[in-house]
Amino acid sequence: MRLIPRSWKVRLMLVLAVVGPGFITANVDNDAGGIATYSVAGAQFGYTLLWTMIPITIALVVVQEMSSRMGAVTGKGLSDLIREEFGLRATFLLMIALVATNFGNVVSEFAGVASSFELFGISKYIVVPLAAFVVWAIVVHGTYDVVEKVFLSASAFYVAYIVSGVMAHPDWKAAALSTVTRPESAGFRNYGYVSMVIGLAGTTIAPWMQFYLQASIVEKGVTAKQYRASRYDVVIGCVFAAVVAWFIVVACAATLHTKGIYNIENGAQAAEALKPLASNGAYLLFAAGLFNASLFAASILPISTAYAVCEGLGLESGLDKRFDEAPAFYWLYTALIVFGAGVVLLPRFPLFRVMVISQVANGILLPFVLIFVILLINDRELMGSYVNSRRYNVVAWATVAIMIGLTIAMLIAQTRS
Amino acid sequence: MSLVALSELLGATVRDATGTVRGRVREIAVAPQDHPTRIAFLIVRTSDGERVLPVESLKAAGVSVRTHTDVSTWEQYAPSDGVLLLKRDLLDQQIIDVHGRKVVRVNDVELESTPVNSHLLLDVVAVDVGARGAIRRLSKGVVPSFTLRALLARIPPRVIPWQYVDLIETDPARRVKLKIAYRGLAQMHPADIADIVEDLPPAEREAVFETIDEEVAAETLEELDPDVKVAVVESLDKDRAADIVEEMDPDAAADLLGDLAEEHSGEILKEMEPEERQEVTQLLEFGEHTAAGRMTTEFLAVAEQASVDDAIESLKRFEGSREALATIYLVGGGQQLTGAVPLVRIATSSLTTRLTEISEPYVACAPDTPESEVAALFDKYNLITLAVVDEHGRLAGIITADDVITMLRHKG
Repeated sequence: MRLIPRSWKVRLMLVLAVVGPGFITANVDNDAGGIATYSVAGAQFGYTLLWTMIPITIALVVVQEMSSRMGAVTGKGLSDLIREEFGLRATFLLMIALVATNFGNVVSEFAGVASSFELFGISKYIVVPLAAFVVWAIVVHGTYDVVEKVFLSASAFYVAYIVSGVMAHPDWKAAALSTVTRPESAGFRNYGYVSMVIGLAGTTIAPWMQFYLQASIVEKGVTAKQYRASRYDVVIGCVFAAVVAWFIVVACAATLHTKGIYNIENGAQAAEALKPLASNGAYLLFAAGLFNASLFAASILPISTAYAVCEGLGLESGLDKRFDEAPAFYWLYTALIVFGAGVVLLPRFPLFRVMVISQVANGILLPFVLIFVILLINDRELMGSYVNSRRYNVVAWATVAIMIGLTIAMLIAQTRS
Repeated sequence: MSLVALSELLGATVRDATGTVRGRVREIAVAPQDHPTRIAFLIVRTSDGERVLPVESLKAAGVSVRTHTDVSTWEQYAPSDGVLLLKRDLLDQQIIDVHGRKVVRVNDVELESTPVNSHLLLDVVAVDVGARGAIRRLSKGVVPSFTLRALLARIPPRVIPWQYVDLIETDPARRVKLKIAYRGLAQMHPADIADIVEDLPPAEREAVFETIDEEVAAETLEELDPDVKVAVVESLDKDRAADIVEEMDPDAAADLLGDLAEEHSGEILKEMEPEERQEVTQLLEFGEHTAAGRMTTEFLAVAEQASVDDAIESLKRFEGSREALATIYLVGGGQQLTGAVPLVRIATSSLTTRLTEISEPYVACAPDTPESEVAALFDKYNLITLAVVDEHGRLAGIITADDVITMLRHKG
């Protein structure tokens, strides 16, 4: 038997064929807010937050799988379904919360852009408006499909964290142990600790991803019959995202926390985590990675928010419509970009802190979006035989309960401090 | 006569003949079998379960509902498929705005109450798809109703009259009971129907294609985005798909079947009438991106000895697409192509003129000509139709300009 040599093009096609909406969503999720939150978690708390990774990954797989299943079975977006089953008022309130939270995320993406160029002394007043324009142009001119592949390939940057994490000679035993041991309850009375746990969950399982993933599945025309294949895509994407997150925390713990650097205020400090891999090139590597991640998410977030809101509220939407046909859609899209980038331009804007806070906001909103998702996916009239299994419901409701519990714990800790 | 919004009626208190509050309005039902717009009954949630309040017993319907019957006469509500429940089936759902030719979401429903003798008649008159309905519902119970009314009066309404509304129902049995036939939709231009269908979720798309006339469905299918087209055909059952495909232009049908998975196209072909099947299978054998793959076999060819009168006779009998009629081809014995007569020449010549006298030089290409060359020929010779001839000089099919435009647009 003779093996037919495959050209690199064919090979690339095979790889991209596996890369579906699930993998893309999981990758976009490691955005500026993600990198910042994982880095700060590692620097501030060393290995002690690694226990969050396994439960977060399980919840992430379950949540993402529910979104893609719902998209495949109903052929409708999440906000459409919420509107149809829960009415206008619930949709309206949720959309306000979503816009507010996603605005925070957009800000954090532009903060990521600013922070990656800050390393080279390039002013944010030049870079951020330029990035805002690029984002706007990519989407409006419909070149997103092409650019997505560039973004995705550049996401290979995350491997740098894995390599650097290994080269930093972390205390493997301690890291492994903290990943599997139960956290001490005393930590939950500490405001910084609890909010970081919420931030880690919120950045990994961001509410906007549920809307985005479901929309992508619908857009791709995946049907209930084909959806089994999407399941693998979702699981692989989630596991990859979680492994990267674990290594960012470990790399930062091994390089920053051990040296007594507990607070990350800028990109230069965060880039330290990549020093073991690329001693002098660490800045460049970190900046390139952060920039790519920020721009990738920044080109998806505003548009996906505009779609979700307009579809839920029954307003005209779509890039194939003219401005006067879909004014709300274009205004919302433009406002998110303009104000999102504009806020970052304020003097002395705390880039890293905002990137983390926006993820905590994600974590606070998450359970409310999840409640809708769980109620919808257990609706037999809607999902037929594709309703949740018991195990899924246990994990999903547990996630809701834990996230709400953490938010309450954070509020209590805050009032006490 | 006065207008009342569905959102005002829902949750309104219901008083019986004695003036005592007996419950709240939960649903409002139309029975399309009896009357297309008239409200048949209200469903009232009472302390003793859900009760049916026939509209004939209403005295007033507004912020509060009054009736002149006693609560003991209200029957227990039993769910039925045959009634349209305004809250469940209409509010917040997507409908087709026939007039505006798009899919919209219902924010509220406007009802008109007309006093007749001692009772009220309630009719659905329009659906509200604008800000007014949305704000009314969002502020209900939050803003005092007096202030709200003043506020709403300032907002220009965006309503669709009920006769221009097409409901979407995915359950075929219920569609029959509710008499949903997409009458408005079917009267639109197929290209507009296609735009609407592309905006709908898959189950709703299927519902439209199951219901509308085969001929309209076929034309609509041709206008759909290729991905959507394939998804729609695969979702339909084989008989229905075959019926629709038969009505399509053979070239479009062949393109479509070529895009389907083999098992699907095979099953559809099996269900088709032998004649149409043969045409389509012939076309399927050619490469999609060649002249033969793009051509249609439904063209008008007459014997070269024929007169203008004969040509007009065959025009009348022609069943293919109108685009194909731009040129009438002349063939000799054995189907050899010998000439071409533009339709304009037929119109301007006397009935007895021989077609050979008004025949013009024609452009033709071989079946395996790549589509880029086909486009070049159309451009160079300013063609409306192009003849495709086989190796023996026989006319195999024609390509029309609209197919070339589609082909070029899909390339970019």
